[in-house]
Order: sequence, then C-alpha cells, then structure tokens
Amino acid sequence: MIKSVSSLRSLAPVLIVLLLLALVPLFSPSNRFLSLAISAGINIIALYGLSVLFGQTGILSMGHTALVGVGAYTAALLARDFDIGFWVSIPVAGIMAAIVAAIIGIPSLRVSGHHFVIMTFAFGQLMTIILTNGGDYTGGASGLDMGKPVTMFGADLDALPRFYLLVVAFVTISAVASWAIINSSYGRTLRAIRENEKLAAALGINVGRHKIGAFIVSGVFAGVSGVLLAYFLRHISPGQFASFPSIYLALMVMIGGARLLLGPLAGGILVSFLPEVLNLDPVQSRILYGVCLIAVILFLPNGLIAGIADGWTWLAKMSKRTPAAGNVPEAGR
Amino acid sequence: MSVLLDIKGLRKQFGGVTALSGIDLAINEGEILGVVGPNGSGKTTLFNVVTGVHKPTAGTVTWKGKDITGIPANQISRNGIGYTFQQAMAFPGLTVLENVQIATEHSAASARTDFAWPTPASLLDFVGIADLANEKAGILPFGSLRLLGLALALATRPSLLLLDEPAAGLNDRETAALVGLVQQFPAHGISVCVIDHDMKLMQMLCKRLAVLDFGSKIADGPTADVLHDPKVLEVYLGGEL
Amino acid sequence: MDILLQQLLNGLSIASVITLIAVGVTLIFGLTGIINFAHGEFLMVGSIVTWLAVSNGIAFPLALILGVLAVALMGFVLERIIFRFTLERPTNGFIVSLGLIVVLQHIVILFWNANQKSIPRPLTTVWEIGGVRIASVRVMVILMTIAVVAMTYVMITRSRYGRALRASVEDRDTAALMGIPVRRYITGVFVLGSALAGLAGGLLIALFPITPFTGGTMVMKGFAVALIGGLGNLSGAVAAGLILGIVEGLSAGYGFSEWTDAYSFGLMILVLLFRPHGLFGGTSGPKMA
Repeated sequence: MIKSVSSLRSLAPVLIVLLLLALVPLFSPSNRFLSLAISAGINIIALYGLSVLFGQTGILSMGHTALVGVGAYTAALLARDFDIGFWVSIPVAGIMAAIVAAIIGIPSLRVSGHHFVIMTFAFGQLMTIILTNGGDYTGGASGLDMGKPVTMFGADLDALPRFYLLVVAFVTISAVASWAIINSSYGRTLRAIRENEKLAAALGINVGRHKIGAFIVSGVFAGVSGVLLAYFLRHISPGQFASFPSIYLALMVMIGGARLLLGPLAGGILVSFLPEVLNLDPVQSRILYGVCLIAVILFLPNGLIAGIADGWTWLAKMSKRTPAAGNVPEAGR
Repeated sequence: MSVLLDIKGLRKQFGGVTALSGIDLAINEGEILGVVGPNGSGKTTLFNVVTGVHKPTAGTVTWKGKDITGIPANQISRNGIGYTFQQAMAFPGLTVLENVQIATEHSAASARTDFAWPTPASLLDFVGIADLANEKAGILPFGSLRLLGLALALATRPSLLLLDEPAAGLNDRETAALVGLVQQFPAHGISVCVIDHDMKLMQMLCKRLAVLDFGSKIADGPTADVLHDPKVLEVYLGGEL
Repeated sequence: MDILLQQLLNGLSIASVITLIAVGVTLIFGLTGIINFAHGEFLMVGSIVTWLAVSNGIAFPLALILGVLAVALMGFVLERIIFRFTLERPTNGFIVSLGLIVVLQHIVILFWNANQKSIPRPLTTVWEIGGVRIASVRVMVILMTIAVVAMTYVMITRSRYGRALRASVEDRDTAALMGIPVRRYITGVFVLGSALAGLAGGLLIALFPITPFTGGTMVMKGFAVALIGGLGNLSGAVAAGLILGIVEGLSAGYGFSEWTDAYSFGLMILVLLFRPHGLFGGTSGPKMA
C-alpha cells in the first residue's frame, strides 16, 4: 500500500481534531456534556463503518443499527453467561456482527437497486422481532442489563471522563482504519464498483464478493460500536436497534458527508450537539433533523462538509484571489 | 495462425426470439477480424454472450483450447480477453489516472510479462490522453472518453480485444486516430475483433470480415471477397460499400 | 373453532387497512418509482385529521372524507416540492422519505402529544352468529376497502387514464413522445396513493386507537404486501393482502401472535429473492430512460 503525502494530509485534520477532543476532560465538562459526547463517539464508530459501505461502495443499507445491536447483545450475553468482559467482547462482537452482516448481505445483494434498501430494512426489523421473542435468553422486549464494568490494567474506566477517553481512543482507531481502507487499492476497487459496476466487472473485479466484503467490514465497525454502547448504557433493548433508528445514522452520515474522512466525525458531533446549542427539546430537534436530512439530500448530496468546502472554494474564486489551499483534503476520492 | 477464440454453434434465445441461431466463428492469433451486420443481426448479442452478460442457450466458446462457455463477466478479462462497450464507459467520479490504476490492479495474475504498456502512465501516453491524467473522467470530452475506455481494456493485458462499435460518436479525425492505434495491436501480441456496422471503418481496419444477418453468419472471409459477395450485397442493399 | 373464526375476521379487517396501504404503494412505487417510506405517516395523518374532526363534533363519514382530502392535499404538495426532484434517483427519494417520517411524526407530537388517540366507534352494532361476534364496524371497513379498491382497479385498467399510465411505466420516453403528460400523471398517481393512505388511516382509527408512531409499524407491511403481490399489480396486492390477513389471523388464533409481524417480512424477503416480480407478476419498477 503506497501512502502518498496527499493521503497523509487527509488523515492529519482528523487526528488533530481527535487530539483536541481528548483534551476536553481537562476543562471539567459537565456530566451531560460528557454523556452526549460519548453517545456521539459511539455513533461515529458505527458511522465509519457506514462510510465504507455507503461512501466508498455506494451501498445504502438500512440494517446498520441491527448490526450495532448484534454487537451490543453479544457483549451483554458474554458478560451474563460467560463472565467475559469488555476487551474480549470487542473482537467477538466484531466477528458476530460480521457474520450477521454476511447473512444480511448475501441475499440482499442478489436483489436489484431499490428493492435492496427495502430488504435490508426488513432484515433489520426481523432481527428486532427475533430479539423480542427470544424469551429469557435475550431478555425479550425489556432487554438485558450489562453486568460488568470496563477495566483496564485493573483501573476502573466506568467514570465518565475515563469512559470518554476510551471512546475517543476507539474513534481514533476507527478513523485510521477507515483511512487505511480508503487509501488502499481495496478502497479504489470499492469506489470503482460504486462508479460503474458493469465496467468494474469487465475489468476483472468480482463485484459480488467485494460488495459482501464491504458489508462485512461495515459490520465489524458496527459490532464494536455496539459493545461500547452496551457498556455505556448498561441496559439494552430490542427497540433501540430496529430499522427506524437507522434513519438517524443515515442522517448523520449524509450531513457529515459519506466520502470524507472528517464526515462521520462532523456528522456525529453535529447531530448530537446541535439541539443542545440551539436549546431544543427532543421533539423539536427531531423535526430539525428530518428537515436537515431532506435539505441535505436535495441540495448538498455530498454532505455539509463538502458543501462548505465547495462554498469556500467558490467564494475564493469569486473574490478573484488565486484558489490556493481552500480545498478540504479529500480522502482518496 | 492458431485459433485463439473458437465459437461453435452458438445459440441464444430470449423467450420466443432467436437472437443467435448457431454461429460458428474463429478468431485467429494476430489478426484484426471484423464482425458486421445491420442492426438486429445479433452482433451485440454475440458480444454479450461471449463477454458473459448472457448465458448461451446452446453452443460452446473455447479460448486457447479451454472451454469458457458461460463464465461470469469478471472472469473474462482474467482469462486474457479485454473488451470495450458500445457506450463509452469509465468511472466518472475518479480521475483518469485512477481509472487506469484500477484496471491495472485487476489484470490477471498470470498476465503477460512482455506487455508493451506495463504502467498506467505508459498506457495513457499510448492512447494520447496523458495530459488529462488528473481530470475526473466524468468531465472528459467524448473522444477522450473513448480513448480512456480503450486504455482500460488494454490495462488488463489482454491477448484478445473485443471492441463493440468503438468509433460510434467519433468524428473522422478521431476515428482515424483510433484506427491508427488499433492497427498497432497485432504487432504487440494483441489480436482484435471489431464489431460494427460502419463499413468504411471495417475496410480500413480489418483484413477479414464475418457478416451476420438475423442471427446467422452469411459470409466469412477476406474483406475484399466478402464485400463482393452477392448475399452480403443483398443484405446491405442501398447501403454504401 | 370459534376463536379461530373470530381471529380470522379480525385479521381480515386489519388486512383491509393494510391492503389499502399496499394498493397505494404498489401504484406509487410500481408506476412512478417513488419509494415513499413515509406512506405510513400519511396514514397516520389521515387518522389524526379524522380524530380532530370527530373530536370537534363532525360526524364520522364527513370526518373520514376530510381525512382523505387532507392527506391527498399533503401528498400533492410534497410531490411537487420534494419528490419530483428525486424521480431520477429513487434512492434519494427513499432517504428523503425517511426524513419525512421523522418530521411528520414529530410535528404531530409537537401539536397533539404522543399519546394514544381514539374515537368512539362509528358503528356499535355487534352481530352474534354461531358464537362469533361480528362487529359491524369491521364489516364496514372491509366493505369500504372492497368498494374503493374495485373503483381504483376499474379506473386503472379500463379508463384512458389508466392505460396511459401503464404505458408510461413501460417506456416513459415513448409515452411522453405520444403526448402523455407523464409528469402530471405521476403527480396524479401520487395523490391517489396518498388519498388511499388517508382513507386507510381514517378507517384504522375507527377500529383502534392510534399513536403518532402507528404509521411506522404499518408501512413495512404495506410495502411487503405490495412487493409480494407484484409491484404495479393491483389485484396482486389485494390477493397478497388477503393471504397475509388470513395468515396473521390464523397465527394469532393459534397463539403465535408475537411472530405476526415476522410473516410479512419473512415472506417478502423470500419473494424478493426467488420471485422478484411478486407472486402474481408485476413490474420491477418503471424503466428509467
């Protein structure tokens, strides 16, 4: 894998932002702030997975929250039945979510275009029904508790500031993983499939296999996100992982921009914090979300960040200065 | 001259319509073969069946002695057969260079090591669009898009190139340039089969012609002979030769 | 046996509502390619308007009509200002409809809170036949559905409008060349489908209380039924709705009610995989240029 200078340049802003975010606990933020930030971070990890599936490969799946649920339930069940804690749960949940992603992906990808979205939606709902009807094993409609704390080298990480840093660490790992994928030849192949499937096949690319691969990769991110969610909320229930919450993930990835490395970060933070900043109650903020989603799709299909970047470049050109470094470094587009 | 691609008894039916009714065609090493026929004669169906878009109803396709009948589209190029489409195809959101890089990265593992254009840059140079390397393929003018399509097919290091109406939409100057490029292929170990209905183009390019009509082959031989074949003249009655 | 028949009847009345949704979906999705997942919210708005009207002293029949008109109008407005821009890219239309779901649900919550809303049953007679209680209101729902679907069917298959519409599905460009105002027909179908959803909503609230989230649970079934029956195939949607209603009624009757929702999803997945044109044949969506 050849990493050019320009592709490193796309990683730098993200790392800088994350570094700054890691310093936040030094300023004694409120518990509410930390909770919001942690929620945002957990979403962002899932979003990086979605950006590989949707941003790179062009596949819109409504089953992503279901995969987060797989991760969460894996963690909860491992803790309850096998006394297995956080650190082992992470890889196991990643694998479980990858398997379920393959199960959803393989049949869904045999179905054309717009039917595909509906298929993934149906699978997501089906999973919720299965979880709800799992009796005592899955905790039924009321769900499961998370019994174990998160510890690292003996130190308890459950306190909010420490959990926050844990989440920032995982977000960083997700961002770097996403960057690595995007800038590899694998990422290029996925983009080729997104741009012109027929041509990709003509050039020797096994489109079906790569699409399922993208699904599986997105599943791993979602699974990890789910583990963190379970350990943060301490209680999970099937309703959280139905297909409709996928709408909020779609919103975040659209607003932030599915193809930019900064996209998931921006989208997750914006959607979590905007209602706080604007002092909206949950109902009002959801109306805002919905309107934003519609507006973004219609007017800024590449996301807010790209839209701002384009606007910036346009402004620079308009004022007749040389359009210098006004471009947001794009992650291998 | 050995036979590279041997098509025997190829039939294709779509429901009640017989698009191909038993085609026998051989493409020899080192030649530029033309397959012509009026619209509806089955040229594109033949192309689609050979390139894995459709499975044949009957018949076989043998490549260098190996049976490749009905193999999926993405394995065609892995076997050493490259092809371009009737519509100019590229990856619009990616740069020209990235387009060719993708094609090179997926050329068959057993690809020829003696290939004349081993790098993306050399390919872009050859077809003449090196100056457009960092442009997004989506904004390319049509002529350059066609050249990019050719470069992509070449990047898979083929021993045989199938070109479906490669000059469609090109003006005379661009067509002549294309012809100039294609004529160089046999010397570099790439045999060519061009499918088209433009007789002028075929006369320029091909030493041998096969003529299709209503799904059957009605003539097959040296270009000059075929063009004087009364059956062929009848099919193209009123057309210019 | 009585319980079974009872459940079957109940299942059929719900199936009627779902069939109305499915017919709307099959027409819109099948004939215009617009994937409006907010279709369920259209139903919900129909219920709310009917509820508002009845709560303000308006008789049920008029309230029902108001509900239908309100949703038809809403459909018209939304198609003109949003959906028509997504015709070329149905996936965008789908995502937009997701946003609409959120907006519609929460606007209703904003003004009228998230609690259950219900109206007194417009018909209270209950007939007892051989141990089975047949509520007249359920019969009304079933009969109205049959009437409306039949009218829609006749219009789509027999009238000039319907023929032109089906021509537009086959080949949009040729239809346009022949002078068919395709865009206007698309709007028309969208409004019709929305009106059906509004009707379904009004009928639903006559049977059960609804919440702002009711639409979400019904829309998936509506899509499932439409896809199972074959997109654009009206009679297919009816047949599929009937089958599903019976299956769900039987399942509830035999005590498997928690799995009721699973049937529609499971069957839809199977149909999409093995018979993507639906059990009774349909389009796979309009062919875009």
